[in-house]
Amino acid sequence: MSDFDALLKRSFAEAHEPQDDGFSVNVAHAVARKEKSLQLRMVLQNIGVAAGGAVALYAAYAVLGPIAVDLLAPASAGIANLGQSFDPTPAVGDVAGSAAGWLQSVGAGLTQVLLAAGALAGGAVAYRAAQQD
Amino acid sequence: MAARGLLNLAQATEAALIIAAQARDQAAFGELVKRRQGWARGLLRRMCRSHAEADDLAQEAFIKAWERLKDLETPAAFPGWFRRIAVTTFLMAKRRQKAVFEEIDEAANPMASEDSTPEAQAGAKIDLEKALARLSDAERLCVTLNHGEGLSHSEIVEITGLPLGTVKSHVLRGTEKLRRMLEPQ
Repeated sequence: MSDFDALLKRSFAEAHEPQDDGFSVNVAHAVARKEKSLQLRMVLQNIGVAAGGAVALYAAYAVLGPIAVDLLAPASAGIANLGQSFDPTPAVGDVAGSAAGWLQSVGAGLTQVLLAAGALAGGAVAYRAAQQD
Repeated sequence: MAARGLLNLAQATEAALIIAAQARDQAAFGELVKRRQGWARGLLRRMCRSHAEADDLAQEAFIKAWERLKDLETPAAFPGWFRRIAVTTFLMAKRRQKAVFEEIDEAANPMASEDSTPEAQAGAKIDLEKALARLSDAERLCVTLNHGEGLSHSEIVEITGLPLGTVKSHVLRGTEKLRRMLEPQ
């Protein structure tokens, strides 16, 4: 190492920056802001996940509900016929059928609304996550 | 160590502060910033031409460090780990400005007359910062890491991503320029 290289290293070593309290305070504030926004993001993500889960559950109900009705209808009709042979009151199968129809019509409308809301919530969460990364 | 275990931050060791900060203790990280800011700002001031830009980048580097502290394996590795973040922050800023590796136009930036100042004539105090400001960004970066931080050429390659030949050339040329500017005639 030449004399100049040694001199250079010494000059670098001696070149200290004075302490700046304002700098530390600025960093502390920036870190605090970062943490707050991170917490907010986590809350939003949790809400999004919860909304998505609710939508998925409702969608499963909307899809599986009619299938279950179709599967159970013959069984309930059989039971009703069996009951009618003993008691001549109105058929239980008719009441069950009209209730299932009403549920299906309400379900179809609500499913679209909830799917749209779920898509929006999921999109918002994905957008926030992408921005943060 | 639990974050709340640090009763007296000012007396805590740096390793204890780092471990507490990894547990998301903002006060411990604040104390760490307080202790390391002089070094970090000095490092970036020697890389940048403007003090304001250097302080902005130092702040950005500390915030990145806070976000990535969990990646730090041992507290002893903190200086090298943080230096890498600082250098990356500097390089990214230069890329944003599309100003990496531009050469200084000697004619457009006449030297503060190093030969004619009383200090230079007397062969007195070296104005390292002024001299560094006369180097290109890449030369300044490589010279600072080599002479200021004591990194080898291969370590500079690793930290900056520049080819080895380029690093050697920047260190050599930068040092030679500094010699011409600073060495007493």
